Amino acid sequence: MAEKKRVLTRRDFIRTGSYAAMGSLIGLPLLGRAAGNRNDKSRVILIRDEKVIADDGLVQPEKLADMLDKALKLLFKSDDASDVWEQLFGKNDIVGIKSNVWSHLPTPAVLEEAIQVGLMQAGVKKTNISVDDRSVRRNPVFKNSTALINVRPMRTHHWSGLGTLLKNYIMFVSGPWMYHGNACEKLGSIWRKPHVLGKTRLNILVMLTPLFHGVGPHHFSRSYIWRYRGLIVSTDPVAADATGARIIQAKRNAYFGEERPISPRPLHIEAADVKYGLGNSRADRIELIKIGWEDEILI
Amino acid sequence: MTQTSYATPVDELRSMLPQQIGDWSAEAQDRIFDPTTIFGYIDGGAEVYKAYNMKQCFSRRYTAPNGPAIILDIFDMGSSKDAFGVFTHDTDGDEIDMGQDGRFRPGWLNFWKDRFFVSIYMEEEHEAAEKAVFDLGKRVDGIIAKKGARPGILLKLPVQGLQAASVRYLHHPMVLNYHYFISDQNILNISEHTEVVLATYTINGEEARLLLAAYLGLDAADDAYSNFLKHYLPDADRSGMALLENKKWSAIQVNGRLLSIVLDADSRHLAEHLLRSVR
Repeated sequence: MAEKKRVLTRRDFIRTGSYAAMGSLIGLPLLGRAAGNRNDKSRVILIRDEKVIADDGLVQPEKLADMLDKALKLLFKSDDASDVWEQLFGKNDIVGIKSNVWSHLPTPAVLEEAIQVGLMQAGVKKTNISVDDRSVRRNPVFKNSTALINVRPMRTHHWSGLGTLLKNYIMFVSGPWMYHGNACEKLGSIWRKPHVLGKTRLNILVMLTPLFHGVGPHHFSRSYIWRYRGLIVSTDPVAADATGARIIQAKRNAYFGEERPISPRPLHIEAADVKYGLGNSRADRIELIKIGWEDEILI
Repeated sequence: MTQTSYATPVDELRSMLPQQIGDWSAEAQDRIFDPTTIFGYIDGGAEVYKAYNMKQCFSRRYTAPNGPAIILDIFDMGSSKDAFGVFTHDTDGDEIDMGQDGRFRPGWLNFWKDRFFVSIYMEEEHEAAEKAVFDLGKRVDGIIAKKGARPGILLKLPVQGLQAASVRYLHHPMVLNYHYFISDQNILNISEHTEVVLATYTINGEEARLLLAAYLGLDAADDAYSNFLKHYLPDADRSGMALLENKKWSAIQVNGRLLSIVLDADSRHLAEHLLRSVR
Protein backbone atom coordinates (compact mmCIF):
# COMPACT_ATOMS: atom_id res chain seq x y z
CA MET A 1 0.00 0.00 0.00
CA ALA A 2 1.34 3.42 -0.84
CA GLU A 3 2.54 5.48 2.11
CA LYS A 4 0.42 8.60 2.25
CA LYS A 5 1.55 10.31 5.41
CA ARG A 6 4.71 12.36 5.25
CA VAL A 7 7.22 11.41 7.91
CA LEU A 8 8.53 14.43 9.79
CA THR A 9 11.99 13.94 11.22
CA ARG A 10 14.57 15.92 13.11
CA ARG A 11 16.29 16.52 9.78
CA ASP A 12 13.37 18.75 8.76
CA PHE A 13 14.00 20.89 11.81
CA ILE A 14 17.74 20.92 11.25
CA ARG A 15 17.28 22.15 7.69
CA THR A 16 15.39 25.21 8.90
CA GLY A 17 17.73 25.82 11.81
CA SER A 18 14.92 25.32 14.30
CA TYR A 19 17.07 23.49 16.80
CA ALA A 20 19.78 26.12 16.67
CA ALA A 21 17.97 29.12 18.06
CA MET A 22 15.80 29.24 21.12
CA GLY A 23 13.90 31.91 22.91
CA SER A 24 11.96 33.69 20.21
CA LEU A 25 9.16 31.19 19.76
CA ILE A 26 9.97 31.18 16.10
CA GLY A 27 11.39 28.34 14.14
CA LEU A 28 9.17 25.44 13.16
CA PRO A 29 9.91 23.97 9.78
CA LEU A 30 7.75 25.91 7.41
CA LEU A 31 5.57 22.97 6.60
CA GLY A 32 2.14 23.89 5.37
CA ARG A 33 2.61 27.44 6.50
CA ALA A 34 -0.94 28.67 6.59
CA ALA A 35 -1.52 31.79 8.59
CA GLY A 36 1.86 32.90 9.83
CA ASN A 37 1.95 35.65 7.25
CA ARG A 38 -1.39 37.20 8.10
CA ASN A 39 -1.39 40.96 7.96
CA ASP A 40 -3.75 41.42 10.91
CA LYS A 41 -2.21 41.76 14.30
CA SER A 42 -3.82 40.00 17.22
CA ARG A 43 -4.87 42.15 20.13
CA VAL A 44 -3.89 40.83 23.53
CA ILE A 45 -4.70 42.46 26.85
CA LEU A 46 -2.40 41.93 29.80
CA ILE A 47 -4.00 43.28 32.93
CA ARG A 48 -2.53 43.12 36.43
CA ASP A 49 -3.74 44.26 39.83
CA GLU A 50 -1.51 44.17 42.87
CA LYS A 51 -4.54 43.75 45.15
CA VAL A 52 -6.18 40.84 43.33
CA ILE A 53 -4.42 38.45 45.69
CA ALA A 54 -4.64 39.26 49.39
CA ASP A 55 -1.75 38.74 51.78
CA ASP A 56 -3.30 35.44 52.84
CA GLY A 57 -3.14 34.24 49.25
CA LEU A 58 -6.86 34.37 48.57
CA VAL A 59 -8.06 35.75 45.25
CA GLN A 60 -10.32 38.77 45.67
CA PRO A 61 -13.49 38.19 43.62
CA GLU A 62 -14.42 41.83 43.05
CA LYS A 63 -10.91 42.75 41.94
CA LEU A 64 -10.77 39.80 39.58
CA ALA A 65 -14.18 40.59 38.08
CA ASP A 66 -13.08 44.19 37.65
CA MET A 67 -9.91 43.05 35.85
CA LEU A 68 -11.96 40.93 33.48
CA ASP A 69 -14.35 43.82 32.76
CA LYS A 70 -11.48 46.20 32.02
CA ALA A 71 -9.76 43.67 29.80
CA LEU A 72 -12.93 43.05 27.79
CA LYS A 73 -13.55 46.76 27.30
CA LEU A 74 -10.04 47.26 25.97
CA LEU A 75 -10.06 44.15 23.86
CA PHE A 76 -13.28 45.06 22.11
CA LYS A 77 -12.84 48.85 22.31
CA SER A 78 -16.01 49.39 24.27
CA ASP A 79 -16.94 51.62 27.19
CA ASP A 80 -19.10 49.01 28.83
CA ALA A 81 -18.27 45.39 29.63
CA SER A 82 -21.97 44.47 29.54
CA ASP A 83 -22.09 45.60 25.92
CA VAL A 84 -19.16 43.35 25.16
CA TRP A 85 -20.86 40.32 26.67
CA GLU A 86 -23.99 41.16 24.66
CA GLN A 87 -21.96 41.53 21.47
CA LEU A 88 -20.27 38.20 22.00
CA PHE A 89 -23.19 36.10 23.21
CA GLY A 90 -26.97 36.00 22.80
CA LYS A 91 -29.96 34.44 24.48
CA ASN A 92 -29.94 31.47 22.11
CA ASP A 93 -26.34 30.55 22.78
CA ILE A 94 -25.30 27.38 24.56
CA VAL A 95 -21.93 28.07 26.14
CA GLY A 96 -19.30 25.70 27.44
CA ILE A 97 -16.69 27.24 29.70
CA LYS A 98 -13.61 25.06 29.29
CA SER A 99 -11.88 25.25 32.61
CA ASN A 100 -8.95 23.37 34.14
CA VAL A 101 -9.08 21.32 37.32
CA TRP A 102 -5.41 20.45 37.82
CA SER A 103 -5.35 20.09 41.57
CA HIS A 104 -2.24 22.17 42.22
CA LEU A 105 -3.32 25.12 40.10
CA PRO A 106 -6.95 25.04 38.97
CA THR A 107 -8.87 27.78 37.24
CA PRO A 108 -10.09 29.98 40.12
CA ALA A 109 -13.76 29.33 40.88
CA VAL A 110 -14.34 33.06 41.33
CA LEU A 111 -13.25 33.65 37.73
CA GLU A 112 -15.57 30.92 36.49
CA GLU A 113 -18.37 32.65 38.40
CA ALA A 114 -17.52 36.07 36.93
CA ILE A 115 -17.71 34.59 33.43
CA GLN A 116 -21.07 33.02 34.15
CA VAL A 117 -22.39 36.34 35.44
CA GLY A 118 -21.27 38.01 32.23
CA LEU A 119 -22.95 35.37 30.11
CA MET A 120 -26.21 35.70 31.99
CA GLN A 121 -26.02 39.47 31.59
CA ALA A 122 -25.96 38.78 27.88
CA GLY A 123 -29.15 36.76 28.18
CA VAL A 124 -27.68 33.27 28.07
CA LYS A 125 -29.88 30.94 30.13
CA LYS A 126 -28.23 29.49 33.20
CA THR A 127 -29.19 26.00 32.04
CA ASN A 128 -27.31 26.65 28.80
CA ILE A 129 -24.03 27.36 30.58
CA SER A 130 -21.67 24.74 31.90
CA VAL A 131 -18.18 24.80 33.39
CA ASP A 132 -16.23 21.61 32.80
CA ASP A 133 -12.81 20.12 32.12
CA ARG A 134 -12.41 16.35 32.13
CA SER A 135 -16.00 15.54 31.12
CA VAL A 136 -16.50 17.91 28.23
CA ARG A 137 -16.98 15.08 25.74
CA ARG A 138 -19.92 13.74 27.73
CA ASN A 139 -21.32 17.07 28.93
CA PRO A 140 -24.63 17.84 27.13
CA VAL A 141 -24.01 21.60 27.17
CA PHE A 142 -20.60 21.15 25.55
CA LYS A 143 -21.96 18.60 23.10
CA ASN A 144 -24.65 21.04 21.98
CA SER A 145 -22.61 24.18 22.44
CA THR A 146 -22.77 27.09 20.04
CA ALA A 147 -19.90 28.87 21.77
CA LEU A 148 -16.92 28.17 24.00
CA ILE A 149 -14.93 30.23 26.48
CA ASN A 150 -11.46 28.95 27.24
CA VAL A 151 -10.01 29.76 30.65
CA ARG A 152 -7.05 28.24 32.46
CA PRO A 153 -3.90 29.07 34.42
CA MET A 154 -0.55 28.92 32.65
CA ARG A 155 2.04 26.47 33.92
CA THR A 156 5.04 24.55 32.76
CA HIS A 157 4.16 21.08 31.59
CA HIS A 158 6.02 17.80 31.34
CA TRP A 159 5.10 16.94 27.75
CA SER A 160 4.21 20.20 26.08
CA GLY A 161 6.60 22.57 27.82
CA LEU A 162 3.68 24.75 28.81
CA GLY A 163 0.09 24.12 29.83
CA THR A 164 -1.59 26.63 27.56
CA LEU A 165 -4.96 27.72 26.26
CA LEU A 166 -4.23 25.67 23.17
CA LYS A 167 -3.48 22.61 25.26
CA ASN A 168 -6.60 23.11 27.36
CA TYR A 169 -8.67 21.64 24.52
CA ILE A 170 -6.96 18.26 24.71
CA MET A 171 -9.95 16.94 26.63
CA PHE A 172 -12.06 17.38 23.50
CA VAL A 173 -10.41 14.28 22.00
CA SER A 174 -10.77 10.67 23.09
CA GLY A 175 -7.04 9.86 23.05
CA PRO A 176 -5.10 12.77 24.57
CA TRP A 177 -1.90 10.71 24.67
CA MET A 178 -1.93 10.60 20.87
CA TYR A 179 -0.99 14.28 20.91
CA HIS A 180 2.08 13.99 23.13
CA GLY A 181 4.60 13.36 20.36
CA ASN A 182 7.18 16.03 19.59
CA ALA A 183 6.29 18.10 22.64
CA CYS A 184 2.57 18.02 21.77
CA GLU A 185 3.23 19.90 18.54
CA LYS A 186 -0.10 18.74 17.05
CA LEU A 187 -2.36 20.25 19.69
CA GLY A 188 -3.53 22.87 17.23
CA SER A 189 -5.19 20.19 15.14
CA ILE A 190 -7.74 19.67 17.92
CA TRP A 191 -9.01 23.18 17.37
CA ARG A 192 -9.92 22.24 13.81
CA LYS A 193 -12.14 19.35 14.79
CA PRO A 194 -15.81 19.87 13.88
CA HIS A 195 -17.08 19.94 17.46
CA VAL A 196 -14.58 22.69 18.35
CA LEU A 197 -13.93 24.60 15.13
CA GLY A 198 -14.89 28.26 15.24
CA LYS A 199 -16.71 28.11 18.55
CA THR A 200 -14.23 29.85 20.84
CA ARG A 201 -15.14 33.47 21.38
CA LEU A 202 -12.93 34.33 24.31
CA ASN A 203 -9.63 33.09 25.71
CA ILE A 204 -8.50 33.93 29.23
CA LEU A 205 -5.05 32.86 30.32
CA VAL A 206 -4.88 33.09 34.08
CA MET A 207 -1.56 34.54 35.21
CA LEU A 208 -2.43 35.12 38.86
CA THR A 209 0.07 32.57 40.23
CA PRO A 210 1.70 30.85 37.25
CA LEU A 211 4.01 27.85 37.60
CA PHE A 212 7.34 28.53 35.91
CA HIS A 213 9.20 25.30 36.68
CA GLY A 214 8.27 21.78 37.71
CA VAL A 215 9.91 18.92 39.58
CA GLY A 216 9.04 15.31 40.28
CA PRO A 217 6.29 13.07 39.01
CA HIS A 218 3.69 15.71 39.77
CA HIS A 219 5.68 18.51 38.17
CA PHE A 220 4.83 20.83 41.00
CA SER A 221 6.37 22.73 43.85
CA ARG A 222 4.98 25.86 45.45
CA SER A 223 8.50 27.20 45.30
CA TYR A 224 8.03 27.66 41.57
CA ILE A 225 4.81 29.63 41.50
CA TRP A 226 4.78 33.36 41.98
CA ARG A 227 2.19 36.05 42.42
CA TYR A 228 2.20 37.70 39.04
CA ARG A 229 -1.39 38.87 39.59
CA GLY A 230 -2.38 39.03 35.94
CA LEU A 231 -4.83 37.94 33.29
CA ILE A 232 -4.14 37.68 29.57
CA VAL A 233 -7.28 38.05 27.48
CA SER A 234 -7.65 37.70 23.72
CA THR A 235 -9.78 36.23 20.99
CA ASP A 236 -6.55 34.71 19.62
CA PRO A 237 -5.42 31.76 21.79
CA VAL A 238 -2.05 31.57 20.05
CA ALA A 239 -1.23 35.20 20.74
CA ALA A 240 -2.37 34.90 24.34
CA ASP A 241 -0.26 31.76 24.86
CA ALA A 242 2.78 33.25 23.15
CA THR A 243 2.53 36.28 25.41
CA GLY A 244 2.25 34.10 28.50
CA ALA A 245 5.17 32.00 27.31
CA ARG A 246 7.39 35.05 27.09
CA ILE A 247 6.53 35.97 30.65
CA ILE A 248 7.25 32.45 31.90
CA GLN A 249 10.57 32.42 30.04
CA ALA A 250 11.53 35.78 31.50
CA LYS A 251 10.66 34.58 35.00
CA ARG A 252 12.77 31.43 34.57
CA ASN A 253 15.74 33.46 33.41
CA ALA A 254 15.36 35.87 36.32
CA TYR A 255 14.87 33.15 38.93
CA PHE A 256 17.71 30.88 37.83
CA GLY A 257 20.04 33.75 36.98
CA GLU A 258 20.76 32.34 33.55
CA GLU A 259 19.03 31.51 30.30
CA ARG A 260 16.86 28.52 31.23
CA PRO A 261 14.71 27.60 28.23
CA ILE A 262 11.28 26.17 28.84
CA SER A 263 11.72 22.43 28.44
CA PRO A 264 10.56 20.85 26.25
CA ARG A 265 10.14 23.74 23.86
CA PRO A 266 6.45 24.64 23.60
CA LEU A 267 6.43 23.87 19.89
CA HIS A 268 2.66 23.64 19.84
CA ILE A 269 2.33 27.42 20.11
CA GLU A 270 4.39 28.01 17.00
CA ALA A 271 2.72 25.10 15.22
CA ALA A 272 -0.72 26.51 16.01
CA ASP A 273 0.38 29.59 14.10
CA VAL A 274 2.39 28.39 11.14
CA LYS A 275 0.91 24.94 10.67
CA TYR A 276 -2.68 25.18 11.79
CA GLY A 277 -3.37 28.86 11.20
CA LEU A 278 -5.07 29.46 14.52
CA GLY A 279 -3.46 32.79 15.32
CA ASN A 280 -0.28 34.76 15.72
CA SER A 281 2.67 33.60 17.81
CA ARG A 282 5.23 36.17 16.80
CA ALA A 283 5.64 39.25 18.97
CA ASP A 284 5.67 41.54 15.96
CA ARG A 285 2.20 40.29 15.06
CA ILE A 286 0.73 40.86 18.49
CA GLU A 287 -0.70 44.17 19.64
CA LEU A 288 -0.01 43.84 23.34
CA ILE A 289 -1.85 46.28 25.58
CA LYS A 290 -0.63 46.34 29.14
CA ILE A 291 -2.64 47.93 31.92
CA GLY A 292 -2.55 48.00 35.67
CA TRP A 293 0.26 47.07 38.04
CA GLU A 294 3.63 47.34 36.30
CA ASP A 295 6.00 46.01 38.93
CA GLU A 296 8.16 43.16 37.58
CA ILE A 297 5.91 42.82 34.57
CA LEU A 298 8.63 40.87 32.70
CA ILE A 299 7.36 41.78 29.23
CA MET B 1 -14.43 -20.74 42.73
CA THR B 2 -12.73 -19.06 45.62
CA GLN B 3 -10.69 -15.99 44.85
CA THR B 4 -7.50 -15.69 46.79
CA SER B 5 -5.77 -12.33 47.11
CA TYR B 6 -2.06 -12.09 47.61
CA ALA B 7 -0.10 -9.23 49.08
CA THR B 8 1.58 -7.22 46.33
CA PRO B 9 5.15 -5.97 46.63
CA VAL B 10 3.70 -2.54 47.40
CA ASP B 11 1.55 -3.98 50.21
CA GLU B 12 4.61 -5.53 51.76
CA LEU B 13 6.51 -2.23 51.72
CA ARG B 14 3.52 -0.33 53.00
CA SER B 15 3.32 -2.33 56.19
CA MET B 16 6.86 -1.30 57.08
CA LEU B 17 6.69 2.40 56.23
CA PRO B 18 6.84 4.90 59.10
CA GLN B 19 3.76 6.76 60.27
CA GLN B 20 5.86 9.56 61.68
CA ILE B 21 8.95 11.37 60.41
CA GLY B 22 9.99 14.12 62.82
CA ASP B 23 7.06 16.52 63.02
CA TRP B 24 5.42 15.01 59.95
CA SER B 25 2.59 12.53 60.40
CA ALA B 26 1.09 10.25 57.79
CA GLU B 27 -2.42 11.21 56.77
CA ALA B 28 -5.09 8.64 57.54
CA GLN B 29 -5.56 7.36 54.01
CA ASP B 30 -2.83 5.95 51.83
CA ARG B 31 -3.66 5.70 48.16
CA ILE B 32 -2.77 3.03 45.66
CA PHE B 33 -3.06 3.53 41.93
CA ASP B 34 -2.95 1.08 39.05
CA PRO B 35 -2.01 1.71 35.40
CA THR B 36 -5.48 3.12 34.76
CA THR B 37 -6.11 5.19 37.88
CA ILE B 38 -2.61 6.69 37.82
CA PHE B 39 -3.86 9.13 35.18
CA GLY B 40 -6.15 10.69 37.75
CA TYR B 41 -3.26 11.09 40.19
CA ILE B 42 -0.47 12.34 37.96
CA ASP B 43 -2.03 14.69 35.47
CA GLY B 44 0.21 15.06 32.46
CA GLY B 45 3.11 12.82 33.40
CA ALA B 46 1.41 9.47 34.00
CA GLU B 47 2.22 8.25 30.49
CA VAL B 48 5.86 8.05 31.47
CA TYR B 49 5.12 5.50 34.17
CA LYS B 50 2.82 3.59 31.88
CA ALA B 51 5.50 3.57 29.19
CA TYR B 52 7.71 1.76 31.69
CA ASN B 53 5.03 -0.81 32.60
CA MET B 54 4.14 0.52 36.03
CA LYS B 55 2.23 -2.06 38.07
CA GLN B 56 1.21 -0.01 41.08
CA CYS B 57 1.88 3.33 42.70
CA PHE B 58 1.66 3.74 46.45
CA SER B 59 1.20 7.28 47.72
CA ARG B 60 1.35 8.57 51.26
CA ARG B 61 1.09 12.17 52.33
CA TYR B 62 2.82 13.42 55.48
CA THR B 63 1.74 16.69 57.06
CA ALA B 64 3.04 18.86 59.88
CA PRO B 65 1.54 21.86 61.71
CA ASN B 66 4.31 24.19 60.58
CA GLY B 67 5.61 22.96 57.28
CA PRO B 68 4.68 21.94 53.78
CA ALA B 69 3.23 18.51 53.02
CA ILE B 70 5.66 15.76 52.05
CA ILE B 71 4.49 13.27 49.44
CA LEU B 72 5.98 9.80 49.21
CA ASP B 73 5.28 7.93 45.99
CA ILE B 74 6.61 4.42 45.51
CA PHE B 75 6.19 3.08 42.00
CA ASP B 76 6.34 -0.68 41.55
CA MET B 77 7.67 -0.95 38.02
CA GLY B 78 7.58 -4.74 37.90
CA SER B 79 11.27 -5.11 37.07
CA SER B 80 14.53 -3.49 38.01
CA LYS B 81 15.11 -2.61 34.35
CA ASP B 82 11.98 -0.50 34.25
CA ALA B 83 12.66 0.99 37.68
CA PHE B 84 16.05 2.06 36.36
CA GLY B 85 14.46 3.26 33.13
CA VAL B 86 11.88 5.50 34.73
CA PHE B 87 14.59 6.88 37.00
CA THR B 88 16.65 7.85 33.96
CA HIS B 89 13.75 9.88 32.62
CA ASP B 90 14.90 12.75 34.82
CA THR B 91 18.35 12.57 36.34
CA ASP B 92 18.91 16.21 37.19
CA GLY B 93 20.08 17.00 40.66
CA ASP B 94 22.93 16.23 43.01
CA GLU B 95 24.01 12.65 43.59
CA ILE B 96 23.16 11.40 47.08
CA ASP B 97 24.01 8.17 48.84
CA MET B 98 20.54 6.69 48.89
CA GLY B 99 18.95 3.74 47.15
CA GLN B 100 20.50 3.22 43.74
CA ASP B 101 21.69 6.36 41.95
CA GLY B 102 19.89 8.63 44.42
CA ARG B 103 19.37 12.24 43.38
CA PHE B 104 18.26 15.38 45.16
CA ARG B 105 17.28 18.70 43.76
CA PRO B 106 15.47 21.48 45.63
CA GLY B 107 12.14 20.06 46.65
CA TRP B 108 12.57 16.54 45.30
CA LEU B 109 14.47 13.40 46.28
CA ASN B 110 14.36 10.27 44.14
CA PHE B 111 16.08 6.95 43.63
CA TRP B 112 15.45 3.50 42.23
CA LYS B 113 16.05 0.22 44.00
CA ASP B 114 15.11 -3.35 43.13
CA ARG B 115 11.88 -3.00 41.12
CA PHE B 116 10.84 0.29 42.72
CA PHE B 117 11.17 3.93 41.83
CA VAL B 118 10.89 6.14 44.90
CA SER B 119 9.93 9.80 44.77
CA ILE B 120 9.68 12.06 47.80
CA TYR B 121 8.86 15.68 47.33
CA MET B 122 7.82 18.55 49.51
CA GLU B 123 5.19 20.96 48.31
CA GLU B 124 7.45 23.87 49.14
CA GLU B 125 11.13 24.16 49.95
CA HIS B 126 11.57 24.22 53.70
CA GLU B 127 14.61 23.44 55.85
CA ALA B 128 12.95 21.12 58.38
CA ALA B 129 10.90 19.42 55.66
CA GLU B 130 14.07 18.78 53.68
CA LYS B 131 15.57 16.99 56.66
CA ALA B 132 12.38 14.95 57.02
CA VAL B 133 12.52 14.10 53.30
CA PHE B 134 16.05 12.74 53.71
CA ASP B 135 15.09 10.81 56.85
CA LEU B 136 12.12 9.29 55.07
CA GLY B 137 14.25 8.43 52.06
CA LYS B 138 16.72 6.57 54.27
CA ARG B 139 13.89 4.64 55.89
CA VAL B 140 12.43 3.60 52.56
CA ASP B 141 15.88 2.69 51.27
CA GLY B 142 16.35 0.46 54.30
CA ILE B 143 12.99 -1.23 53.83
CA ILE B 144 13.71 -2.23 50.22
CA ALA B 145 16.14 -5.03 50.89
CA LYS B 146 17.45 -5.98 47.48
CA LYS B 147 19.34 -4.02 44.88
CA GLY B 148 18.28 -4.26 41.26
CA ALA B 149 20.33 -5.12 38.20
CA ARG B 150 20.83 -2.53 35.49
CA PRO B 151 19.65 -3.41 31.96
CA GLY B 152 22.19 -5.54 30.15
CA ILE B 153 22.23 -3.27 27.09
CA LEU B 154 24.12 -0.68 29.12
CA LEU B 155 27.13 -2.95 28.94
CA LYS B 156 27.19 -2.41 25.17
CA LEU B 157 27.89 1.29 25.60
CA PRO B 158 31.47 2.39 24.97
CA VAL B 159 33.06 3.49 28.22
CA GLN B 160 35.37 6.27 27.00
CA GLY B 161 33.71 9.67 27.11
CA LEU B 162 30.35 8.41 28.40
CA GLN B 163 28.46 11.08 30.33
CA ALA B 164 26.90 8.90 33.01
CA ALA B 165 24.07 11.27 33.90
CA SER B 166 22.97 11.40 30.28
CA VAL B 167 22.06 7.72 30.04
CA ARG B 168 18.37 7.09 29.24
CA TYR B 169 16.96 3.60 29.07
CA LEU B 170 13.58 3.16 27.40
CA HIS B 171 11.35 1.08 25.19
CA HIS B 172 8.73 3.53 24.00
CA PRO B 173 9.06 5.95 21.06
CA MET B 174 7.24 8.67 22.99
CA VAL B 175 9.92 8.62 25.67
CA LEU B 176 12.70 8.67 23.08
CA ASN B 177 11.14 11.68 21.41
CA TYR B 178 10.94 13.44 24.76
CA HIS B 179 14.69 13.12 25.21
CA TYR B 180 15.70 13.37 21.60
CA PHE B 181 13.15 14.00 18.89
CA ILE B 182 13.84 11.81 15.89
CA SER B 183 10.55 11.57 14.05
CA ASP B 184 6.83 12.09 14.48
CA GLN B 185 6.44 8.44 13.52
CA ASN B 186 8.01 5.37 15.05
CA ILE B 187 10.60 4.90 12.31
CA LEU B 188 12.79 2.73 14.58
CA ASN B 189 9.89 0.36 15.30
CA ILE B 190 10.47 0.68 19.04
CA SER B 191 8.08 -1.45 21.07
CA GLU B 192 7.85 -2.90 24.55
CA HIS B 193 10.07 -5.70 23.23
CA THR B 194 12.83 -3.28 22.21
CA GLU B 195 15.50 -2.13 24.63
CA VAL B 196 16.89 1.29 23.83
CA VAL B 197 19.65 3.23 25.49
CA LEU B 198 20.55 6.81 24.61
CA ALA B 199 23.70 8.48 25.90
CA THR B 200 25.88 11.53 25.35
CA TYR B 201 29.63 11.29 24.76
CA THR B 202 32.34 13.88 25.10
CA ILE B 203 35.76 12.91 23.75
CA ASN B 204 38.60 15.38 23.20
CA GLY B 205 36.19 18.29 23.34
CA GLU B 206 33.88 16.82 20.75
CA GLU B 207 30.35 15.68 21.48
CA ALA B 208 27.92 13.14 20.09
CA ARG B 209 24.92 11.07 21.09
CA LEU B 210 24.77 7.34 20.70
CA LEU B 211 21.57 5.34 20.51
CA LEU B 212 21.60 1.56 20.83
CA ALA B 213 18.48 -0.49 20.18
CA ALA B 214 18.28 -4.23 20.81
CA TYR B 215 15.44 -6.00 19.01
CA LEU B 216 13.91 -9.40 19.62
CA GLY B 217 14.91 -10.73 16.22
CA LEU B 218 17.24 -10.09 13.31
CA ASP B 219 14.40 -9.10 10.98
CA ALA B 220 13.15 -6.43 13.36
CA ALA B 221 16.64 -4.95 13.61
CA ASP B 222 17.08 -5.01 9.81
CA ASP B 223 13.69 -3.36 9.29
CA ALA B 224 14.56 -0.57 11.70
CA TYR B 225 17.93 -0.11 9.99
CA SER B 226 16.30 0.21 6.56
CA ASN B 227 13.57 2.50 7.86
CA PHE B 228 16.04 4.87 9.48
CA LEU B 229 18.14 5.03 6.33
CA LYS B 230 15.04 5.72 4.27
CA HIS B 231 13.55 8.47 6.41
CA TYR B 232 16.49 9.99 8.28
CA LEU B 233 19.68 9.24 6.40
CA PRO B 234 18.75 8.77 2.73
CA ASP B 235 22.04 10.50 1.87
CA ALA B 236 24.19 8.10 3.90
CA ASP B 237 27.29 6.75 2.19
CA ARG B 238 28.17 3.06 1.98
CA SER B 239 29.43 3.05 5.54
CA GLY B 240 26.10 4.41 6.78
CA MET B 241 27.39 7.92 7.47
CA ALA B 242 26.02 11.31 6.44
CA LEU B 243 26.92 14.93 7.04
CA LEU B 244 23.81 16.74 8.25
CA GLU B 245 22.75 20.26 7.39
CA ASN B 246 23.98 21.48 10.77
CA LYS B 247 27.50 20.20 9.95
CA LYS B 248 27.15 17.33 12.40
CA TRP B 249 27.56 13.68 11.48
CA SER B 250 25.07 10.90 11.84
CA ALA B 251 25.78 7.22 11.26
CA ILE B 252 24.10 3.85 11.55
CA GLN B 253 25.13 0.22 11.66
CA VAL B 254 23.36 -3.02 12.44
CA ASN B 255 25.06 -5.96 14.00
CA GLY B 256 22.74 -8.90 14.50
CA ARG B 257 19.89 -7.77 16.75
CA LEU B 258 21.69 -4.60 17.79
CA LEU B 259 21.20 -1.34 15.96
CA SER B 260 23.68 1.48 16.66
CA ILE B 261 23.04 5.07 15.63
CA VAL B 262 25.30 8.05 16.16
CA LEU B 263 23.43 11.34 16.30
CA ASP B 264 24.82 14.83 15.97
CA ALA B 265 28.52 13.93 16.20
CA ASP B 266 30.88 16.88 15.96
CA SER B 267 33.10 14.99 13.51
CA ARG B 268 33.09 12.00 11.23
CA HIS B 269 36.00 10.63 13.17
CA LEU B 270 34.00 10.66 16.41
CA ALA B 271 31.02 9.00 14.73
CA GLU B 272 33.24 6.24 13.36
CA HIS B 273 34.99 5.82 16.68
CA LEU B 274 31.73 5.40 18.58
CA LEU B 275 30.34 2.85 16.14
CA ARG B 276 33.57 0.87 16.34
CA SER B 277 33.54 1.03 20.14
CA VAL B 278 30.08 -0.44 20.69
CA ARG B 279 30.76 -3.53 22.74
